[in-house]
Amino acid sequence: MVEGLVRLVFIAVMAMTCAAFVGCATRAPDAVIFDLPVQDPLNDSPAKSLWQSGVQARDNNNLAAASRYFERALSLAPDSSWLYRELAELRLRQGDDAAAEGLARKALRYAPSDPAYQSVLWQLVATSRQRQGNEKGAESARREADMLWSRKAAK
Amino acid sequence: MAKNTRKKTTSRKTPARASSKSAPRRWWSWAFVFKLALVLGVIALVATIWLDALVRDRFDTHQWQLPARVYSRPVELYAGRELDRAHLLRMLDLMRYRRDPAARAPGSFSVNGDQVLLHTRGFNDSDGGEKARLLRLTLSAQGVRRLTDGAGAKVSIARLEPIQIGSIHPGHKQDRVLVKGADIPPLLEGMLLAVEDRSFYEHHGISLRGLSRAMLANFRAGQMTQGGSTLTQQLVKNFWLSRERTLSRKLVEIPMAMLLELHYSKEQILEAYLNEVYLGQDGARAIHGMGLGAQYYFGRPLDELRPHQYALLVGLLKGPSYYDPRRHPERSKQRRDTVLLAAYDQQLISVDELKQFQQKSLDVVPPGSAALYAFPAFIDLVKRQLSRDYPEKILSSEGLRIHSTLDVPAQLAAEAALARFLKNKEEVNGAVVITSPNQGDVLAVVGDKVARSAGFNRALDAIRPIGSLAKPAVVLAALQQARKHTLASMVEDGPVEVVMEGGQHWAPQNYDGKSLGAMSIQDALSASRNQAIARLGLDVGVGPVIKTFHALGVRSEIPPYPSIFLGALSLSPFETAVMYQTIATGGYRTPLRAITDVLDKDGLPLARYPVSPKAVVDEDLMYLLQWALRRVVVEGTAQYAYNMLPKDLVVAGKTGTSDGYRDAWFAGFSGSHLAVVWMGRDDNGNTGLTGSSGPLRVWTDIMSTLPQRPLNLTPPETVKMVWMDEDGRRSSGSGCAGARQYPLLNVSLPDSASPCGKVQGAPKGVMKWLKGWFD
Repeated sequence: MVEGLVRLVFIAVMAMTCAAFVGCATRAPDAVIFDLPVQDPLNDSPAKSLWQSGVQARDNNNLAAASRYFERALSLAPDSSWLYRELAELRLRQGDDAAAEGLARKALRYAPSDPAYQSVLWQLVATSRQRQGNEKGAESARREADMLWSRKAAK
Repeated sequence: MAKNTRKKTTSRKTPARASSKSAPRRWWSWAFVFKLALVLGVIALVATIWLDALVRDRFDTHQWQLPARVYSRPVELYAGRELDRAHLLRMLDLMRYRRDPAARAPGSFSVNGDQVLLHTRGFNDSDGGEKARLLRLTLSAQGVRRLTDGAGAKVSIARLEPIQIGSIHPGHKQDRVLVKGADIPPLLEGMLLAVEDRSFYEHHGISLRGLSRAMLANFRAGQMTQGGSTLTQQLVKNFWLSRERTLSRKLVEIPMAMLLELHYSKEQILEAYLNEVYLGQDGARAIHGMGLGAQYYFGRPLDELRPHQYALLVGLLKGPSYYDPRRHPERSKQRRDTVLLAAYDQQLISVDELKQFQQKSLDVVPPGSAALYAFPAFIDLVKRQLSRDYPEKILSSEGLRIHSTLDVPAQLAAEAALARFLKNKEEVNGAVVITSPNQGDVLAVVGDKVARSAGFNRALDAIRPIGSLAKPAVVLAALQQARKHTLASMVEDGPVEVVMEGGQHWAPQNYDGKSLGAMSIQDALSASRNQAIARLGLDVGVGPVIKTFHALGVRSEIPPYPSIFLGALSLSPFETAVMYQTIATGGYRTPLRAITDVLDKDGLPLARYPVSPKAVVDEDLMYLLQWALRRVVVEGTAQYAYNMLPKDLVVAGKTGTSDGYRDAWFAGFSGSHLAVVWMGRDDNGNTGLTGSSGPLRVWTDIMSTLPQRPLNLTPPETVKMVWMDEDGRRSSGSGCAGARQYPLLNVSLPDSASPCGKVQGAPKGVMKWLKGWFD
């Protein structure tokens, strides 16, 4: 019993020390702001040229065309977290929040082990859940995002 | 007063008597003629006003009855694409590409060694589509090695135009492909005028010379045999009047033709004529207009036809049935050659061309050979999905362009594989549904072993017991109770009996009639052990299993009986594909879509059907199930696929057989394709087939034909691969006796290890010290 208590105190002290050093309490940004990773996720593939066309269409507010481009790209690179994220953001803009959540979660499934990137995806999940009225789910996703963001900060 | 009247009468009669002696009495008077002329004039004026209104109203507001057209998915071309030469040539043949060494015009190609020169046709799409362009493909054994444009510049990605695979005209039987005035080939117009109306550009609706010639001929024949009609008159007849040759119709036709010419240009009249003309009959479908005529008889767009083909179409106008090139080729050729001669007379073609084209065969494609007729089961699905969003009237008249998800190679592969396997099994029929897991695209639907059979669509409408295809749902429901069940958990394969509410007994038997005792859930699934899965289902509960079925996407009502654990629920192959799609995507329910885009008749986007997956089952749980279904292929009832397919192609799936061998199933997936194959008899009799001996063979055949991507079985972070001992409760080590590796959720990790495992997996150094703190 006493031994267990000592262990608990030890673990708590370690956790607090960690938090003090790396800023575990850092909160992930609310807005989806994310810099492109240094490594090009689609390399020089045909999917990349479709993605680029999609981005252009999206920036021109032609969301239907952007959606078609991203989907075509996805059929060439079906495990691309990057493309799922693009589509998730697009669906949010189109007001299809349930689809946005599904796509963001698929993006997480294929995401590289980059906490900052994963944090952004959880933030997307949180936003889409919030818009669907799922407050509890949104809060849980936000916690995930914060935790990952703090890991990024630790790096 | 009376006296005066009598006098008057007498005085009036006298001159009459006198005149009757000198001349016969006239029954008319000038006044009468004048009045009659006035009345007739008024009638004619009213009639003219009425006809004028009729002509203008109909012509101004005329909307061509344009059925919605359904297209396959376009073929994407890019360097690195898996595509063999035979496959590419087959596609080009389906699209009616013509061989031309320089590929000068859209719709032509040439092959030179490993080089393919293609001139694509271009098309509209919601992303802007593609322009017609020249492409050069360099092929290798693996597929497309290089893709450049005609000038040699690298092209990242390009598309071949989608193939028209059907049209939807539920409200009427007319079908046509609209051709705009500017797109009418000049030679076609020239030939038409040379044969039907040489003075078209001179007259004002009627040709007096033509009319008098026709009247003379009719007089000689003693009946109405010729009409002497101009194109304008023919259009009036087609648009407003009956086909009877009567004088009264002629009397109406003439003023209407003149009124038409008064209000509309020659170009407008010609355009309407070419789109209206009747060119033949395809069953219940009436072929109208030159655009559809070109597709129907030659399988190509109008602007790609050769002069002798234009001549044939023009020749058909005289009598589409009498000169039908398929039924009466000799007659049709004579008529065609007459048109060519008329074209020569009008100096539209040279004498050399005349000879050259008269020697040509008819070049007509066999009936039903165009892709347009090829995929009725898929079109059926498209219609059902469209009917949710569009009323029949719009589908039949607005000329919508429906871009579907049909993948022609996948469809052909599925048709061929099913037909091959069932060739000598007369009583047995089958169905196939192929989808792409990530997008939810329906790539192929086969509803009959006889391809192109438009009868009972078994893929959508054969609602049959799914047998052991239900078992993964039971296992998934068990895995959701993560602290209680893992794939390594033991379950008893032994006799089980349940007394139902009505006093009936449910006592399932195994396929081999044996009970094998305790085994892991994984083994029970791999070997499809009925008693073991039934016991597992009873432990989990009927409610949670039904809930799992619904989470996977099953919408049909599921009876609340334990027999559902072994597949006593009936689904169509399509709904089964919906269920397995959720498994193949790792827990994301993606509505299966047969349509991606709807465009209006001018190619402008109207609606999109986007990819919209929804997370319905935790992906770590679904990973466990995918892994388990992979084991079914590697070591279980679907081992045939493992033996036949390349070893680096990771696939997973499940066999199913219903009671009495009435239904045989296989549902399985790779990273790029999910396919469900069903076999059964329409009379619900014994097929003599199991899921392994029938559908699995066809499934393997299909998957080996299509370009594949292996299933990605990288475990999520919340799953660990753990060596477990034989009893499935304690962790073990790779070298320990009876130890097997299983994926386990973090929450399911065993809290004890077998003695062998403890020794093998004992932590060392700092890790041991740390672990000690947390143990």
